[in-house]
Order: sequence, then C-alpha cells, then structure tokens
Amino acid sequence: MATAAAVVAREIPSPEQASLWSDAWRRLRRNRMALISTIYLVLLVLVALLAIFYTPYRMSAVGIAPTYSGPSQAHLLGADGVGRDVLSRLMIGAQISLIVGVGTQLLVVVVGVTVGLLAGYYRGWLDSVVTFIINVFYGIPDLLVALILVFLLGPSLTNIIIAIVVTRWMDMARMVRGQTLSMREREFIEAARASGAKPVKILFGHILPNALGPIIVQATFGVPAAILFEAFLSFLGVGIQPPTPSWGSMAADGIAPLRIAPHIVLAPSIALSITLMAFNFLGDGLRDALDPRSRR
Amino acid sequence: MRDLRTQFLTDGGVVTAVDGVSFDLFPGESLGIVGESGSGKSVTALSLLRLVPDPGRVVGGKVLFRNQDLLQLSDDEIRQIRGRDIAMIFQDPQSSLNPVLTTGFQIAEAMQAHGKAKAEANARTVELLKRVRIPAAESRVKDFPHQLSGGMRQRAMIAMGLANAPSILIADEPTTALDVTVQAQILELLGDLNRELGAAIVMITHNMGVVAGLCSRVIVMYAGHIVEEGPVEEIFERPQHPYTWSLLRSIPRVDALRHERLRSIEGIAPDLLRPPSGCRFHPRCPFRIERCFTDEPTLEEVATNQRAACWVTMERARREMHADDLLDIRPGAGSGVHPGEQI
Repeated sequence: MATAAAVVAREIPSPEQASLWSDAWRRLRRNRMALISTIYLVLLVLVALLAIFYTPYRMSAVGIAPTYSGPSQAHLLGADGVGRDVLSRLMIGAQISLIVGVGTQLLVVVVGVTVGLLAGYYRGWLDSVVTFIINVFYGIPDLLVALILVFLLGPSLTNIIIAIVVTRWMDMARMVRGQTLSMREREFIEAARASGAKPVKILFGHILPNALGPIIVQATFGVPAAILFEAFLSFLGVGIQPPTPSWGSMAADGIAPLRIAPHIVLAPSIALSITLMAFNFLGDGLRDALDPRSRR
Repeated sequence: MRDLRTQFLTDGGVVTAVDGVSFDLFPGESLGIVGESGSGKSVTALSLLRLVPDPGRVVGGKVLFRNQDLLQLSDDEIRQIRGRDIAMIFQDPQSSLNPVLTTGFQIAEAMQAHGKAKAEANARTVELLKRVRIPAAESRVKDFPHQLSGGMRQRAMIAMGLANAPSILIADEPTTALDVTVQAQILELLGDLNRELGAAIVMITHNMGVVAGLCSRVIVMYAGHIVEEGPVEEIFERPQHPYTWSLLRSIPRVDALRHERLRSIEGIAPDLLRPPSGCRFHPRCPFRIERCFTDEPTLEEVATNQRAACWVTMERARREMHADDLLDIRPGAGSGVHPGEQI
C-alpha cells in the first residue's frame, strides 16, 4: 500500500510548488504601479552606477555653460548659477540619494532587528529598557537630533547616514519586537525549544524568517523617508557639503533664481518626487504581495 | 519524577497546576497520562523539560533522569537533553512546524542542534520520513508544512522527535487535531516505533481509547494530583477511583441503547485558584463520605501495581453503594452525603 501511495504522490505534483518568495514575486508583477516603479528604480540605479564612470561634464566644473542657461542640446537640463551642468550634477545626486536611502535602511534593519528580536524574545528588564529608550527617541524631534549629530560629527556622507539611522531605527525595532512577542508564543517556537535549539538559532533561524516580509516592507518605506530627510538637511545646508551635489542642495541653489531659471529647482525636485513615489509604490506593492492575508 | 510542583503566578493568585506528582517511567515503556482539560497533564510534561511557559514555574520536586536531576541542570545542559534524550511531540502539527521553513530543513535542524553534520543530517531526514511512512519521502523533504496534509505533518513531527533517537518520547495529545482515521494510523505508528526502537513513550491525552490502544500503564490526573495509576488492563477492568470510573463510564459506546443518554461527569473541573478542601474530587463525586470533605487522601496500594487516592475506592462503592446499578451519578448520589447534611 505504501508503494501504491508513493506512485500516486509522484504522479500528482503537489498543488503549490511555488515557494513563498516566488509567490510574492508573482503577485508583485501583477501590481502595475509597483512594476513600473521597480523598472524606474532599476534605471535609477543604473544611472547612479554609470555616474561613477561617466557624466556628460565634470559635476564640479564651473563656467562650462552660460550661467542660468536653460536646457539646450549641449546641456540637456541647462546650467546652474555658476555655469555647472545640471544633468551631471543630478546623476551624482542620484548616487548620493541611493547611498543614503539604502545605506540608512541597511543599518536600521541591523539595529532594529537585533534590538527588536532580543527585546521581544527575552522580555523582562531588557524589554523595559528598550521600550523606554524607543519612547524617549520618539519624544525628541528628528530634526533636532540630526542637526546636533551633524554639528558634532561633521557633515560627511557617513555621518549623515548615522544621524538619520539614529532618528529612524525605532519603528523597525518596535515592529520586530511586536512580531517577536507574538511569535514566541507560537507552538513551533516551543517545538524548536523542545528539540534543543539554541536561543540564537530560534531568534535568527525561526523567528526572523517569519518576520522577513514586514521587515522588507518597512525598510522599503524607510528608504524614501531617509532620502527625503537627507535632501531636507542638504536643503538647509547642513547635509552633503559642496561641491558634491545632493538633490536637496541643488534645489536650495535654485531657490533664489527661481523666476529666471526655474529648471535649477525643477530638475532635482522632480527627480526627488518621482523617486520617492516609486519607492512608496514599491513598498505598497511589497506589502500586498508579502501579506499572507491578502493571498489571491 | 518525585513530588513535582508547578505553579502559575497569575493576577488572581497562585495556581498550583501540578501538585506533588510522582511517577516512574521505565525504559521502553509506554505510559499514558489521562485527565480532563486543566488537570495538569500537559504542564507535567512541560515541567519535565523545563519548558513551562510564563508565568509558570516549577517550584519543587525532582525529575531524575540517568541519575541527574533535570531541574538542577544549567540552561545549556537541559538544552542538550531536549530533543536528544527526551523529545516532545505537540498537539497541533499545523502550528508546531515553522511555516516558512521546509519540513526537511526543520527535521535536519533538530539533528544539527545536537552536533550532527549537515550532510549526514540531510541523509537521515529522508530515512526518518520513510520510517514514519511518508510516501515519496525524497520529494516531501523539500515541501513546506502547508503542502502536507494534517496526518503527514504529524508524521513529520514524529520524525523530528525521533531524529536523535531519544530514549523518551513525550506526545502531548498528538492526535487531537487529526480526524479519526488518521488518529488510528498515527497511534499505530507510535506503537510500532515504541516496539521497534525501544523508546519510552509518554502519551498525554484525554482520550481513554487512545490509552487503551497504545499504553501499558496509565496515570489518571485530576486537578493537579495523580488520583490513580496502574496497568492499563486493571484500570479499565477495575478502576478504583470514582473519577476513573466516571471517566470510563462517560466513553460513548456503540452498543449502547439508542435512547440511553450520553453519561457525563456532573459539575466542572475545580478552580485551582481555590482548590476544594479534602479530596479535590469530592464536589463531583457520587460516592463521597464525610471524610472526603476534610481529609486529603494519598495514593495507596489497592491491588498489585495499582494505586488510588480515595477514602472510599470503587470496591467499597460497588459493595455498599451499588455503584454499577447507579443511574444517577450526581454528587453524593451513591453515598447520600450532601453538603447540607454535613456536620
């Protein structure tokens, strides 16, 4: 009988061969806005990579075009107040934005996941301390913390990333903590404990994989927030320092001559807006795709 | 296990879920622990491996295994024992398997946790799945839990339990979540494994039928106490504790007369925040005597290898109270002792 059953089982493939991730990918592709956003973001990454080797002009070269000149064939997006090529600067700005956005979220994931897992799993005093710290950080205005840190550490790219991480790790930590709290009571965690698994294994091998969906979604939404925050800091002049362009500082440069040369503000602002939208649509798409409750 | 005591510190007070439970388990034996929900049988099993969930705490007693007290071991040492020497199978295979990891991975992991190399663990996983009679084991290894049927999931759980060839396998209501035909298959499998591998099985259940089919010895628990223990035949043929007797009477019978009502035990399990005085079963017992209200009975030998904690015992109840002819089993019905008439 066992052999007969074996034959039957081999002939009929199990109905859901798709794994969790390929399943999610299939659903993501069906979401048109998410798909368009993904394509846009891939292009943006390619442009940023290209800018490492090639920009139409050197981004800091001054006076290569008439100051405030509008878009032309030689300078597709025109020139700024000191005659620098806006397109070249926009491409470098894309690099900065992506590094800040993705870099911050990678750090946020590392910090938030570790803190959240430990607090949620061990509870007790550790959880109380973590929850208290999170609440304290929520209480202090983001901008104030970031400004103080940048002033103390100096306005380099790394320090700006650190400053943003310091103001943005709490959401991730709190979410992961919540996930862990509910997960640790599940039977399969008890079963893992009963089979002699080490705590590290339970945390990173059993709980983390189950929380991966929400973590990815949260991180995706965190990227545009970080990009916007960097742009804002740079707009205020405490972010990325000249001559390196950031979309924020480029927009700031264009504010004064807004009436005579609107393209200086428009180019980085539009790039910023589309990028933020793309990340948000992608995040939305991922949330729907990874949420088990929205299956089918 | 000696005088085990596990308490839960709740907002309402201290609940002593397991109160002074002692029993022996011999190598290769299959022992059944039966009782209603809340009788402390699951907590007893969890206490063995120090897995009692918060706010529970093992507050006393000893669990002796190979001359060491499991309750005294360090966290690291008890983890070595878990899964390797004493494995546990849980009630609901649906929720006991991690949904995002493949079944094979989880079984292999149970072995890797105890120092087996990955390749070796993977090879043995297929072997184990075959052993628990999962068809097409080679391809099932890569399946996620949701791709398996309930019965197959429980087989996979059993495979995981057997992974490190433990000397004791604790099964906490392993068949409750399964339908009846699958239940029978799983029980048969457990019986075979018990005979073939020589692993002792502790079967925790509220189903007397399960015990009858699988176990050689039975412990009956009520409200955190052992009320009766003995060989399975004795317990079924000649139960001595009124609670065991009522449990057996309440099993629905196929050959019962059609108009006969399903017999249940009157009343509800006691609130362990405020356990009853004397014998904990007295508020529901048909054969209670005055003494039951005040004095707590201890386990006494009532026959060879059979012990019961009761002042009356069914032998006397049969003789003096015509227990077997009793249709009305309300509290005090047999003995005629009612709370109002006390004093």
